[in-house]
Amino acid sequence: GLTWSQGSFRKLLTGGHCCSPLPFLFILVSTFAQARAAEINAMLKAVAQKSSNSLVFQTLPRHMRRRAMSHNIKRLPRRLQEIARKEAEKAVHQKKEQSKAKCRKARRRHINLVAEFNRRQRKNIWLETHIWHAKRFHMVKKWGYCLGNSPTEKSYRACYRAMTRHCLLQDLSYYCCLELTGKENELLKQLARICSIDTGLTFEEACCLSGRFEGSLNLYRADRYPEDMLGPVTFIWKPRDGSENRHLWIWMHPALKQDILRELKAIFQCSEPEEIYIPEPVTASIQEEKQMDGVLSLGKKRKKEDKEGEKAVPVKKIIGDGTRDPFQSYCWISQTTSIVISDRTMEILRYRLIGPLSHSVLTETLKAASLQTEMADSETELNNWWVENCKDSEKVSLHQHQSAIFELLEGISSPSEMPPGTILGLTVGDPRVNLPKKKTKAMPDFEKYQDNDKVRQLYLEGVPVDCAHSFIWDQDICKNVTENKISEQDLNHMRAQLLVPGSHLDLGPCESKIPILLVQQPGKMAGEDRPGWGSGWDIYLPKGWGMAFWIPFIYRGVRVGGLQEALKHSEYQRTPHTPNDFPDCQAGMQFAKELEASLLEKFKRRPPAKRANYVKMGTLSPFVCPWGQLTKNWEGRMKASGEFVRQSSPHPERCVTEGHSFCDPKAEVVEEASPETCEVEETMEVTRSEGALKTEDVTGTQDFGEKGETMTSDFIVLRNEKLLMQLSAWCYPTAGKDRRIRLISRLGQKEMTEDVFLPILMSYPRALVWVNLSLLRKGNPELHAMICIPTEDDLLHLSKNKLFCGPQEPKHRDIFKYKVQKLKEEKKKKKKDNMKALEGDPLGIPDKEATEEHEDLILGLWADALPDVTSHCSRTLLGYVTRGDFSLAVGCGEALGFVSLTGLLYMLHNQPADKKGIVLLRTPASLQYRFARLNIEV
Amino acid sequence: MVRFKNRYVLCEVVSEDPRCRQCIEDRAVGLAVRDAIGKVHGDYGLACCSISFTVKYLNAYTGTVLLRCRKDSYRLLCSALPFVRQLESRNLRYPCFLNTLHVGGTIRTCQKFLIQYNRRQLLMLLQNCTNEEERQCIQKSLLSCSLTEEQSQSGDEEEDDGTETD
Repeated sequence: GLTWSQGSFRKLLTGGHCCSPLPFLFILVSTFAQARAAEINAMLKAVAQKSSNSLVFQTLPRHMRRRAMSHNIKRLPRRLQEIARKEAEKAVHQKKEQSKAKCRKARRRHINLVAEFNRRQRKNIWLETHIWHAKRFHMVKKWGYCLGNSPTEKSYRACYRAMTRHCLLQDLSYYCCLELTGKENELLKQLARICSIDTGLTFEEACCLSGRFEGSLNLYRADRYPEDMLGPVTFIWKPRDGSENRHLWIWMHPALKQDILRELKAIFQCSEPEEIYIPEPVTASIQEEKQMDGVLSLGKKRKKEDKEGEKAVPVKKIIGDGTRDPFQSYCWISQTTSIVISDRTMEILRYRLIGPLSHSVLTETLKAASLQTEMADSETELNNWWVENCKDSEKVSLHQHQSAIFELLEGISSPSEMPPGTILGLTVGDPRVNLPKKKTKAMPDFEKYQDNDKVRQLYLEGVPVDCAHSFIWDQDICKNVTENKISEQDLNHMRAQLLVPGSHLDLGPCESKIPILLVQQPGKMAGEDRPGWGSGWDIYLPKGWGMAFWIPFIYRGVRVGGLQEALKHSEYQRTPHTPNDFPDCQAGMQFAKELEASLLEKFKRRPPAKRANYVKMGTLSPFVCPWGQLTKNWEGRMKASGEFVRQSSPHPERCVTEGHSFCDPKAEVVEEASPETCEVEETMEVTRSEGALKTEDVTGTQDFGEKGETMTSDFIVLRNEKLLMQLSAWCYPTAGKDRRIRLISRLGQKEMTEDVFLPILMSYPRALVWVNLSLLRKGNPELHAMICIPTEDDLLHLSKNKLFCGPQEPKHRDIFKYKVQKLKEEKKKKKKDNMKALEGDPLGIPDKEATEEHEDLILGLWADALPDVTSHCSRTLLGYVTRGDFSLAVGCGEALGFVSLTGLLYMLHNQPADKKGIVLLRTPASLQYRFARLNIEV
Repeated sequence: MVRFKNRYVLCEVVSEDPRCRQCIEDRAVGLAVRDAIGKVHGDYGLACCSISFTVKYLNAYTGTVLLRCRKDSYRLLCSALPFVRQLESRNLRYPCFLNTLHVGGTIRTCQKFLIQYNRRQLLMLLQNCTNEEERQCIQKSLLSCSLTEEQSQSGDEEEDDGTETD
């Protein structure tokens, strides 16, 4: 800690007495003396300052220290007393004022504790398992919830093992549920507008409509397919029960909820005309979103009856959504079609069990409810719905059927053997009653079911339709079940009063009956390896029962995962994860923005010499994937190469690519083929001009969008299953030892010729394709790694030398370095000037603003607008990786990402038959390319 | 936690030619000292000394220079200092030599020494002065610095460790 610097001292001298220093041929006594005096002064100043930040008594040598010196000044030597007094008066050393909070005992008193918990979850909702999670997980505040991110213990591999061999439990209660109620055809008519048959299922799918299976699909803004993606959802129809109104649950990620809810309200005309909202950007963070929610629902039907009472009793444990404004509606009714949309978020809990043993965990934990014909106590409402129900013989037989099937589940070795999305409704007893004394591992007992015909039948036929019925659909029953839960305390009290300690507690008629819904999750369905990996069961519970089911699951030896484990799960399944891998929907864009900000923040925290210079690496955007730019550039390239063939006048777009030595092998191919495919080229031209028109429109809207700062995407993600299937077939090598004839014949029928893929190109000029890559040899792909096209030389090298690990990118020159340095110097100068100006006159302030304009120039990052991203490096860029890691499931580096459709077709067309689908991967902070195989799984 | 112990060498640039004052700047002094060490002790000595070697403080008007080096190698530095014969900067070269005043373990002790030393110098000047004008001038400057000293006297003696005078 130097307290005196040469600079300041010199300034002092020059400012003080400086006559011109040159004609010093003799020494003046006065200057000599003055110089000495000035130095003495400066030294005195420096010496007088206390250099260390220790207290006075701490600087005393040990033999002079006395007890209680720190708070009794008189114990110090007299010469130090004055300084010590001054020090003691300083705020930092003063004792902190006694906080007004109560003592720990009072704080831990149950009432106060609950009040405190309620206060803390005002902003971010807590799940019912929050306290359990908070003790064991790193918690993050996301999407308006407090969620467990990953366990604090080391469990990366253990969680993977649990997923593959045992059972991983996740609390997915933060997923949002919207319930639509109305006539079936009315519902279907409108819902058909927001999804497309091209992408797979629709709401009309027969097996889903009956309520037998759960379906999952991608929603789009009404009539806007394939643009304006809203996000992926899962849906469950309530089985038909005679009445003409049908119920539909749509489950979605909380980041997507506002968009989807708005769209649903719009298509069912559930809001008043002045409240039809122009789609706004979701720039608001989640907390604001909640407020937006409030804004949206202004002036609509309000639920009053239950909320007034709650205000009077402040200290009550919050069950369900604690942040909801009491005067905010969560139910919207359409005037014309009387369709009701209700928001049932946090009303239904949802746990996910992943892994082959998940149903042995389920069967061990849950026991079907016993029949009950008389009320335990006429005063309470406990189980009155169940008693009522047991009087109906039809329902009793249904319950028995359901519980029989549930018990048979244990005989099936893995949940993946059930048909995907199977739904089983059930009513179970209180799981806390048969809690094991020790944590045990649930293991299936297959021998019991070896020759069981019933198991075989279940295996072949699946769960019948009528078994999908569950009382959880009935809101009154759910409310009853939630309110009449026996508290943990009472239960323990009853346990204590058992005659034989530790014996089974039989509650008899007092035992609660809980309606639940079990939904099978199919796991990995696409691709050839590891079919059914990561399959499991989702369990839906009425609210309030969270911990009552959670602890019994834990006692069956499941491992609990958080958000990171969910991410890994979807990564190994090679499915896009919400909202990370949906760059074309609002939530995905928002996510990308936040990720960029956090990565940039992290990058800037390092000293410039210790961080990667991405400009030198040739990485244009290490923190965000410029999808729009990528697709635009590829479209431009295609157009330019087309023009090249036709030898027409130079196009403005061509000038861009000209400089980058874009020698197009495709052009030659087309030329060769031109004699016999004349008419093809004719059509090509026509469609191309159409495409150009279309893109012009798109760019127009994009420009507008940038001005208006709405986040409209100018690209789409290809989700057309037929096309993806075709592409997937083309990605396999057609010759050599890697060929897979059977697979290809199953996937796609057509040969890859111009007349097949040109129409695709024309209809989707700016599309992205979800691909997965597995590295051939070494390499560990990272986030935002670049997927590039190998040159012919690279492939030649690879075929000659199997150990060839990939080419190197030549080092780029940092063209911004000079600029950054200059700017820095300027800033320093300006600062100095400002300092002087502040001393002299306050005119230096406008200069300061001028420097702040350029402040975002950071050494190592591309500063200008991005140039042509595809041709910036030596290998042509195809796309970016959104998730990549070493895959424990496969044993090599694996990556997931998007590539440009145009680029992919271009690459596949030009690659030799035995090397189709080979790409290069390069991580942002490295110059080394690695070979990887590209696959599209449908 | 063990800190690296340093030695601070307080020297004075003595030159016949007052123009030498222009040359007194960190780079020039540092280079001259390095050269001298290199000449006297060779590459090994130079490398030993140049660990954390810097010019910590420099006053061109009084010619005071404070050098820092590691405690292990300060003998090498001190023994090389007499061999500094000239300072060179901006293509100007003036003969001079370095007079070692004090070797201390902390900057603080060097500062304290410098105060004492300067005061002594001024007093000596006062005794030897020839005319009244000079006397007044010196008295004025003496007074200007002695007042502040009285105020901060109490804080001066709190840290007196690590002093070593060669």
